[in-house]
Amino acid sequence: MKESLMEILCDPLDKSELELEVEERDGEEIIEGRLIGTVTGEEYPIEDGIPNLLPPDMRDD
Amino acid sequence: MTDDDADTLAALADRRGAERAVYQPAEDSRLLAEAAVDHARGRTLEVGTGSGWVAERIATETTATVVASDPNPAACQEARDREVPAVRADLVAPFRANSLDTVAFNPPYLPTDPDNEWDDWMERALSGGESGRAVIDPFVDTVGRVLRPDGVVLLLVSSLTGFETVVDHAERNGFAATTVCQESYPFETLSVLRLTLDN
Repeated sequence: MKESLMEILCDPLDKSELELEVEERDGEEIIEGRLIGTVTGEEYPIEDGIPNLLPPDMRDD
Repeated sequence: MTDDDADTLAALADRRGAERAVYQPAEDSRLLAEAAVDHARGRTLEVGTGSGWVAERIATETTATVVASDPNPAACQEARDREVPAVRADLVAPFRANSLDTVAFNPPYLPTDPDNEWDDWMERALSGGESGRAVIDPFVDTVGRVLRPDGVVLLLVSSLTGFETVVDHAERNGFAATTVCQESYPFETLSVLRLTLDN
């Protein structure tokens, strides 16, 4: 995902802001990392450039 | 549901490539793409992007900045392969309030017998539950939050889902609805509704 996407993303649980942690970057593109809810503390993985912002109860299906 | 209804749904599912893991472009996708190319602008989200084909058309044929969402990881990957940024999401849940100028959605809408659901990604892409509105209703209930005050929603609606019921539901959520295009097919009439916040 491009870092500029942060402007429109929020925590799906409570709509609060997300914090970005980058593990692997390719220029503007974040390949691996995570988004963390600044209020909920929930972690949302970024894998192969795709953030998984499904709420926790909808993940892993 | 009668046997005839079941045959109709089976034929529709077949026409929509139900053997694949990701919904591929069909008549409904083309109609939504045509409407979106005419009406999308600014920051645009395609919800339930499937193959990413509609989102790619908006990105290449308009000046809109496009992002796509889908709960299915394979769909997100297909959209990304078309160079459309993709987010795994439940409808508009992870998008900020007042952040989008355009939201386009070709929802799962086939009315489905609960005893006859097949519980995989293609079922999720096609089935609108018993009413056909199991996904449309929560979308219409929540999309107003992410839309900018002068934003536009483009929603594909099938006659199978009950066109007037969807319009009524949108109006109860504070939207004004107009039909921007409509086409008839053997089993259904497809329309694209343009919803704007009725300030």
